[in-house]
Amino acid sequence: MAALLVFSLVFLRNLQVENVSKKQLALETAVGFLNDFFMDTLGKEGKRYIPYMITVAIYIGIANLIGLLGFKPPTKDLNVTAALALMSIVLIEYAGFHQKGLKGWLKSFAEPIPLITPINILEIFIRPISLCMRLFGNVIGAFVVMELIKAVIPVIIPVPFSFYFDIFDGLIQAYVFVFLTSLFIKEAME
Amino acid sequence: MLDISFWNLVFTIINLIVLYLILKKFLIGPVTGIMEKRSKMIEEQMAGARDAEEQANALKAQYEESLKSAKEESRQIVEKARNEAKLEQEKQTALAAAQAQKIVSDARKAAEEEREKALDGAKSEIADLAVLAAKKMLSGGSEEANRMLYDQFLTGAGEADDTDIH
Repeated sequence: MAALLVFSLVFLRNLQVENVSKKQLALETAVGFLNDFFMDTLGKEGKRYIPYMITVAIYIGIANLIGLLGFKPPTKDLNVTAALALMSIVLIEYAGFHQKGLKGWLKSFAEPIPLITPINILEIFIRPISLCMRLFGNVIGAFVVMELIKAVIPVIIPVPFSFYFDIFDGLIQAYVFVFLTSLFIKEAME
Repeated sequence: MLDISFWNLVFTIINLIVLYLILKKFLIGPVTGIMEKRSKMIEEQMAGARDAEEQANALKAQYEESLKSAKEESRQIVEKARNEAKLEQEKQTALAAAQAQKIVSDARKAAEEEREKALDGAKSEIADLAVLAAKKMLSGGSEEANRMLYDQFLTGAGEADDTDIH
């Protein structure tokens, strides 16, 4: 974890400090892409949550891809995904609270009809658990499948599978995680 | 792997928050700042370019207007000058013609007068001579002298004007 943190930090700091036009251009393209993506989902009121979303996107993306380099993916650890999900739900509820105030926030639990208030309350727990479990399950599943393939045939055959399980699945899961989180934030703010 | 330990969770959260702060400070803040600045700059430049274009268009219209008016003016000036020159020429021609006519008529008149004067002079002289000759003849004298005189008269008259007087 710490190694990953330092790695990310140094990697990104270097890019930023150097500020060479070409590198900066690539960086700007990447950040601009993420920025636009979250801007589309979150809208103008959610602008303040964009940096966090970008951070999480980068973090999960790197965490899922780091398995390629031989590291153990951090997202394979349930604690990490649980922490991410916890922060997400805190952020979601905070966004709703910040946007509507205490009264509006409390009222939003009885939103379509008061009858489903218990379900809305349940959602507070369901959402992070689903986020957490989806990410964790996908990563560990991919990891286990890869390990099994490697155990059966160690050469060549794992390569195409690795493309799917490590790269595609990892990026998709990162995308899904941040997309759902931003969607929930947007919903909480309405 | 599957068991959740509280401290592990807390550490992860702390790490994430630190990562978030670092990324926000060093990556997202500057990059979005730069991008915003650039878009602002582009917008400003676009506005400036639009302004300049508008100004240029206005100037162009003005120049065209002034050019047109100058052309018109020059055309008018040329026209006027041409008219004036024509008028002047006509006037001069008429004047010259009148003068020439006058001179010719004057000269003709003078010539006529001269001729008449000369004719009159000759007439009176002939008359004088005739009178003189007659007087001489009448006053007598020698035959010789008379004849001489007569001859003389005849000669003079013939010399003076052969056909006119007899």
